[in-house]
This record gives sequence, C-alpha cells and structure tokens, in this order.
Amino acid sequence: MLVLVETWESIRDFVATGGDVLYVVAIALFLMWVLMIERYWFLLAEFPKIKKGIVARWDARQDTTSWYAHRIRDAWISEASEKLDERMLIIKTLVAMCPLIGLLGTVTGMISVFETMATQGTGNPRLMASGISMATIPTMAGMVAALSGVFFSTRLEARAKMAKEKLIDSLPHH
Amino acid sequence: MKKLFKGFAVAAALTVSAGGALNAHASTESLDKILEQVKQNRISEGKINKAREQEFLSDRADKQALLNKAKRDLAAEKARGERLNKEFKQNEVTLAEKETELLNAQGTLGEMFGVVRRNAAEAIGAIEASIISAEKPGRSEVLRSLAAAKELPTTRELEELWIAFQTEMTESAKISTFESEVAELSGDINVKQVTRVGNFNLVTKDGYVVYDAENKQIVPLGKQPSSDVLATVADLLSTSADQYTPFVVDPTRGAILRLNTQRATVEERWHQGDTVGYIITALLALGALIAVVRFLDLMLVGAKIKAQIKNANNPSDSNPLGRILKVYHDNKNQDVENLELKLDEAILRETPRIEAGINIIKILAAIAPLLGLLGTVVGMILTFESITLFGTGDPKIMAGNISLALVTTALGLIAALPLILLHAIVAGRSKSILHILDEQSAGIVAAHAEKERA
Repeated sequence: MLVLVETWESIRDFVATGGDVLYVVAIALFLMWVLMIERYWFLLAEFPKIKKGIVARWDARQDTTSWYAHRIRDAWISEASEKLDERMLIIKTLVAMCPLIGLLGTVTGMISVFETMATQGTGNPRLMASGISMATIPTMAGMVAALSGVFFSTRLEARAKMAKEKLIDSLPHH
Repeated sequence: MKKLFKGFAVAAALTVSAGGALNAHASTESLDKILEQVKQNRISEGKINKAREQEFLSDRADKQALLNKAKRDLAAEKARGERLNKEFKQNEVTLAEKETELLNAQGTLGEMFGVVRRNAAEAIGAIEASIISAEKPGRSEVLRSLAAAKELPTTRELEELWIAFQTEMTESAKISTFESEVAELSGDINVKQVTRVGNFNLVTKDGYVVYDAENKQIVPLGKQPSSDVLATVADLLSTSADQYTPFVVDPTRGAILRLNTQRATVEERWHQGDTVGYIITALLALGALIAVVRFLDLMLVGAKIKAQIKNANNPSDSNPLGRILKVYHDNKNQDVENLELKLDEAILRETPRIEAGINIIKILAAIAPLLGLLGTVVGMILTFESITLFGTGDPKIMAGNISLALVTTALGLIAALPLILLHAIVAGRSKSILHILDEQSAGIVAAHAEKERA
C-alpha cells in the first residue's frame, strides 16, 4: 500500500514539474494503448472465429471458379480485412501525434521561461529552471510514448497483414 | 548733532537772504538783525557747552565706581570657577568608581540586555509584516521603545517582549475571523469580514487578500489564483470551526500570490499571438467544422449502405451502393465482362463524393504549424528590432517579444493536433465506405445474382 502511495506521489511530482501538457501525452498514450490492446484481443480471440466461419462457408460452396464466385470471395476477404484494419489509422495517428504533443510541451515550457525572464530578469537561474523542466519533460514523455507505440503498432500491422494473407491462402479454388 | 543742524539753518538763512538781495534790494536793517542774532546764538551755545562739560565730569566719577565693582565681581567668579572645577574633577572620579561598581553589579545581565535589544529590533520587522498585525495592530510600539532604550529595561518590559513572541506564535496556529477595513481594486475602502489562516494568508468572501505592512492596510490582489484554488477559499469560509477542510495556503505569506498576478491567463496568451494567432484559430475552427460535417455525412451514408446490403433487391437512389446495384439491375442480361466495366464506372462516379473535404482537413492540419512558424519568425524580427533600438542590455524587453513568438508556435501545434486526429477519424470512415463500394459491391451483386439464379 505504501509503495502505491509513494508511486502515486512520484507520479504527481513528475506531472507537477512537467506541466499540464503531460496530461495530454497521458491521454494520447492511454487511448493508443487501449486501442492497441483491443486490436491484439481481436487478432487473437475474435479473428480466428471469423476466419473459421468464412472458410466453412467457402468450403461448402459448389462453385468456386466462376466470376460470381471470385467476386464473392473478394467481398468476404475485403470484409475480413476491413475488420482487421479497423482503427489502425487512428492508432498510427496517435503514435505520430505523441512527439508533436511533446513539442507543444517544449514550446509552452519555453514560453514560461521567457515569461519569467520578462518579469524577473535573468538574475535567478532557478526561476527559469522550472520552465525548462516544463519544456524538457513533456518532450521526453512524448518521445517515450511514441517509441512504445511505434514498435507495437508496427507489429500489430504486420500481424494483421499476415492474418489477411493466411485467410486468402485458406480459401482455395476447388 | 543739534549744533550741526543749527549751522545748517544759519547757512540756509544766509543763502535765502543773499538770493533776496539779488532779487529785491533788501534793506541794511534786516542784515543788522541777522548779525545780532548770530552774536546772541554764540553766547547761548557757549552756555550749553559749559553745562555739558559739567555733566561729563560728574559721569566720570560714576564710571570709576562701576569699574571697581566689576573688578570685584570678576575676582569672585574666578574663585567660584576654580572651586567648581575642583568639584567636577572630584565628580569624574566618583563617576568612574560608580560605573565600575555598576558593571560589577550587572555581571552577565549586561550581555542579556544586549540580546534583548537585538531580538526586540529583529522582532519589529517580523511582527509588523505579519498578517496577525492586521487583526491586532500596534504590537510593535512596545518593541520599538525596547529596542531604542538606552537604559536597562525593567522586568515588565522584558515580559512584553516575551508576550509579543508568544502572541505571534499562538496566533499563527489559529484560524480567526475579524472585521477590518479592506481596500478595493476600485480604490474604495470597505469594512469586511476577513478570515486569517495562521500567519500565512488572509481571505475574504471574494478570495485572497494580502496585508500591506507599510501602509498597515489589507489590500486586494490584482488577479485571483485559478478557480480550483478559489474554491477552497469558499470551502474554508463555509466550514464550521470543528470541521476539517482542505485549503490552499501560500506558505510564503503572499509572495507567490503576488507573483501569480503577473502570470498571463490563457486568454491573454492567446491574444499575444496577435493576427497570426487569430488566423490559426480560424483555421482550426474551419477544419473542425468541415470534419464534423463530413463525419456526420459519412455516418449517414454508412448507415444507409448497411441497410442497402440487407435489402439488395430494392436498390434505392439515396445511397451510393444503391446506385451501383441499380446499374446491375439495369444490365442484368449483359455478359459478365460488360457488367464489370459498368460496375467499375458506377463506383468511380461515387468515389469523389465520399472523399470530398477530407484532404482539406489534412491541408489545414499541415498549414497550422507552418503559420505558427511564420508567427515565430515575425516575433523574432520584432525581437531583433528591439535589440537594434535598445541593445541587449535589458533581457526583459527581448523576452516579451520572444514569448510572443513562441505563442504562435504553440497555437500552431494546438490547432494541428486535433485536426490530425479529426482527419484520421474522418478518413477512416471514408476509407471503410470506399472499401465497401470498391471491393464488396461486386460481391454483393454476385451473391444477389446467384440467389436469383438459384
């Protein structure tokens, strides 16, 4: 329990020195990971069922070589791949947004540095230091968020692609 | 002086008579008269002089007597002076003796009184600046006399110092409410209920106030802190004495609150962005509007297409898929290749309407940070202008323009971020609809045809 309290305190400290932009980074990161986990769950738990259904329907067909059969097969594959790619664009956008949000933090931090300079002069570097940590911490947080997202979203995309290929392979013309 | 005046009178008379002689041929008779008069005058003047001489002589005797008396007095005073001098020297010696005696009697007390005086002097500043003085004024007078005193303080005075310290200490642990005059921002002075939290902060129902120790007055802040901080003030004032409530305390006794008034609000910052900032805001609004309109439209189209898939028999003109199905229904009897070409044509017709507006959102999202950069450059130009005019001596002049330059960059990013996200959402929707039209419409047609043939 004490460990939790201490962790919570250190997080609050971190957010307080980093400024409000960290909240935006946190929201983006949270959204990104919720969507990615949902995608992984879909890939591992939902998609095999859908795939089985499509393969069974295809195997039950008599005609698999006519123009009509081809179009129907394409439509099924497209439906499945659309389900696979759902929300992938938003995940990729969120990954791309994270460094931008960090950059926003840099700029707001620098604004606060120069505001301190405008009111207090350059006499006391300590006053400016708070603005500088407000500039650097969100940048770092944005980078870390983006890095964590880049790896997993790329993996996710590759897996979705693979799943689609496998689906195509398991719908042979017979 | 009298004599001189007379001489003048005679001379004037002579001149006048001489003039008369020239003008009117005066008779010798009047001349004789004048001669007689002059002679008589000489006789009377001699008498007067005699009398005066007599007078001077008698005076001389008096003066001699006076001189003798003064000489006697001088001798007496000199004797007295010598006596007093002797006495003074004697007293000096006694004084020195007494002083040593006193020093011996004081012992270490002398040092203690030094400490008392120094502490009293130090306490004056702290107690006068303390907000407790707003509630209990006039506590520093006793200390002031104690600090300035040349002689040893009495026990009573020492106790006053003790009480002053302890009052400050005890009061700093209390939350108390009192009535006091409070200056308003408008310049009026009203009597208000003021609540004091320890020796840290003063609050009224309108928020935080600070104590101006120099003018001994409670003054308002130029700007109150943010609303979540102010909410704790309202909580504090509405809480009864035996309850606990969280309250935001300024531990620096007002310094942070005063600094806070210099911070720009979000709105002030936005206005710092000037023209470029307003343009960026307009872009954001435009992009968001387009995105919302497109999103709602795509949702509607998507729902209609979903309904159409379930009801492939009755193609409707109101949705893209329906229009494509209609092409099939019109060309049912043609061969497969011909049908596919017609379908492709129909799909191509629908595509632009689905994608409309989406690229504009993307372009706006790309323009916003660029405009921010433009604002930065404009700000830097202003900065260098001020350096040209005023030199680099005062960082404050430069810093103002630089923060202006950065505000536009921040605004550009703030506008770009939601636009990028909105674009991703709207583009995702349009892509899924395009997928249905592009890849699935032929399948739907084929499935429908198979069912009809079966």
